[in-house]
Amino acid sequence: MKELKIMLVDDEKRFLATTQKLLAREGYDILTAESGEEALEMLKSHNIHVVILDVKMPGLDGIATLKEIKSLFPLIEVIMLTGNATVESAIDGLKSGAFDYLMKPCDIDELIKKTAEAFEKRQKLEEKISMARTRSYMKSPREILKQTEGT
Amino acid sequence: MKSKDIRKDYYKLLKRKILASMILVPAIPFILAVMVSYYYFMTSIQTKTVSKMVRIVEDHRQMIEFFLKERKSDLQFILDSYNLNYISQPEVLRKIFYTLQKESRAFIDLGVFNEDGLHVAYYGPYELAGKIYKDEPWFKEVMRKGFYISDVFLGFRQVPHFIISIVKKDAGETWVLRATIDTLLFNNLVEKVRIGKTGEAYILNKEGIFQTQRRSGGDLMDKDKDINKYLTSPEEIKTFIEKDITGSTYLYATAMLKDKSWLLVVRQEKADAFMALRSAIYLVILITILGGIIIVFLAFYMSNRVIRRMELMDEEKKQLSQQLVMAARLAEIGEMSAGFAHEINNPLQIIRSEHALIETILTDLKERGNLKSSEDTADLEDSLHQINVQIDRCAKITRAILKFARKKEHVVSKIDLRKIIPEFTDMIAKKACVDGIIIKKEIPENIPFINADSSELQQVLINLFNNAIDAITLKHGSHGGKLDIVVRTVDGKVEISVADNGCGIDPENIEKIFTPFFTTKPVGKGTGLGLSICFGIIDKMGGTIGVNSEKGVGTTFTITLTNVN
Repeated sequence: MKELKIMLVDDEKRFLATTQKLLAREGYDILTAESGEEALEMLKSHNIHVVILDVKMPGLDGIATLKEIKSLFPLIEVIMLTGNATVESAIDGLKSGAFDYLMKPCDIDELIKKTAEAFEKRQKLEEKISMARTRSYMKSPREILKQTEGT
Repeated sequence: MKSKDIRKDYYKLLKRKILASMILVPAIPFILAVMVSYYYFMTSIQTKTVSKMVRIVEDHRQMIEFFLKERKSDLQFILDSYNLNYISQPEVLRKIFYTLQKESRAFIDLGVFNEDGLHVAYYGPYELAGKIYKDEPWFKEVMRKGFYISDVFLGFRQVPHFIISIVKKDAGETWVLRATIDTLLFNNLVEKVRIGKTGEAYILNKEGIFQTQRRSGGDLMDKDKDINKYLTSPEEIKTFIEKDITGSTYLYATAMLKDKSWLLVVRQEKADAFMALRSAIYLVILITILGGIIIVFLAFYMSNRVIRRMELMDEEKKQLSQQLVMAARLAEIGEMSAGFAHEINNPLQIIRSEHALIETILTDLKERGNLKSSEDTADLEDSLHQINVQIDRCAKITRAILKFARKKEHVVSKIDLRKIIPEFTDMIAKKACVDGIIIKKEIPENIPFINADSSELQQVLINLFNNAIDAITLKHGSHGGKLDIVVRTVDGKVEISVADNGCGIDPENIEKIFTPFFTTKPVGKGTGLGLSICFGIIDKMGGTIGVNSEKGVGTTFTITLTNVN
């Protein structure tokens, strides 16, 4: 029923597994990745709406992954998940185009709420895009008239 | 404790050294100056006293010589004016004598002798005419020399006197004129010299027989037993200091008379003569004592001041290094606990997820009717709830730690304390009002602006305010609380003090209050990080934060900020 597709990226396997189970129970379609690299790989082959990204990871860290995602898939909304209470790292994320941030340990309900908000934003954006596209197909009668007159 | 004693000993030793040098350094030139001036002063007084003595002797000798010379010329005049026959007439002699007495009352009698020593004519109080003086020593002497002044002698009349006689050798006849001089008058002439209390003058002949009386003992014709002690010289005036027979020490001045081998002596007791010297000695002693007292007093005062200054400086240094050590330790703890907190957050997140999963499953089970609600399920739910509560608690702690350790960029701006402190107090005003606390602010108008991060300052002050409110409510409940915020300038630094009349801090805790995780609040109420964060912030600002507290009376936190605009 929900077409929202989520990807959860964290280096903690157990967190991924449990959260996946939990969200699946709530009826969400959720993929998991254990690293930034894996996430980017998977995004190429899956249509994902919202990515929840841990800031601190071995290899490609959260901020770098975020930047990569934003350049490759600008429509995907990203929520940063930080174990560090510093607002700085969160601000860094927001500056690089993240939708919002959550502090570990975060409440699952809150996570769902933020994800829903992100999805809503994505929906609206998509709507706008399709509206813009439709507008370019649909031309006003006067214009059509002009065109026929010309020919 | 032991190191404190060592320190005390060190200061004592140092103080003794400083004191010694502070006494010695001025004392040496001082004593030298006193000694040199005393020496010159003494010499000058001695020279003055001696020269005064010499002058008196000289004047006196001149006077005596002049007296004798006059008497001699008196007689010479008579001798030149009359012949023997004429003068031998008693009536003539009487007239001549009276004329002579008009000249000087020192003449007692007048006699005329022929060359055989016969007393031809005499005028005077004695019956001496007709006596033969041929064998008398004075007669022999005057015949030989032509002029003679005798020593004082008794003679036929058995009364001390002395005579002046002159020989006249005239065409064939030789005669002698003799006059007796009143010893009393002569005596007065000599004796009238008075110097100081004990100064006196007298005349001795060659054998040391008194020719005049000596006031301090020594009758006419007596022998002065000290005669061989006198230094004499025919021309010069001699001065010397000598003990006399009675044991007193005298300053002497002696002079020989020219026409007569008489010795004029002027003497004064040494103590009397050098009276000025003695008062000079007293003065020198007084100056030395006073100067010494002043030097010692100043040395004590100065060394005390220096030592106190040093102690203060050392104390400050100690405090500063303590603060540095503390700051370093705090930074270390901060860094360590930040990493620690971060690592804890990940497992916490997992626990939270697991908790959420269990809860969801439990709800599902109940919804599907697989699990009937019972006491067990209620316990289970309660337990689950408790897990959540504890996760929250952990999260709160880790967040506080991370906040404490965070390396935030400072946004330093010019802060007007007069404006910003009321803003801060407004934030807690409501809470304070509920607890019945009266907030008093005292911020002078001339408080300079400071350069700091206002949000940091806010964090510190709000933390202190909250602590104060907690302490106050603990003691007073909701009545009688007082919170005083005073801002002052001290030596160009700005001092903010936050004073409460709350429960105070135990003395054994006061050293630990800035240490992270130290708290006296009940478990779960405080993280023990508030004050250590405050300390960290103020330290980074380059300021200091100190505390003064008395158990049961209140606590005052004082922040000193140096970054004054």
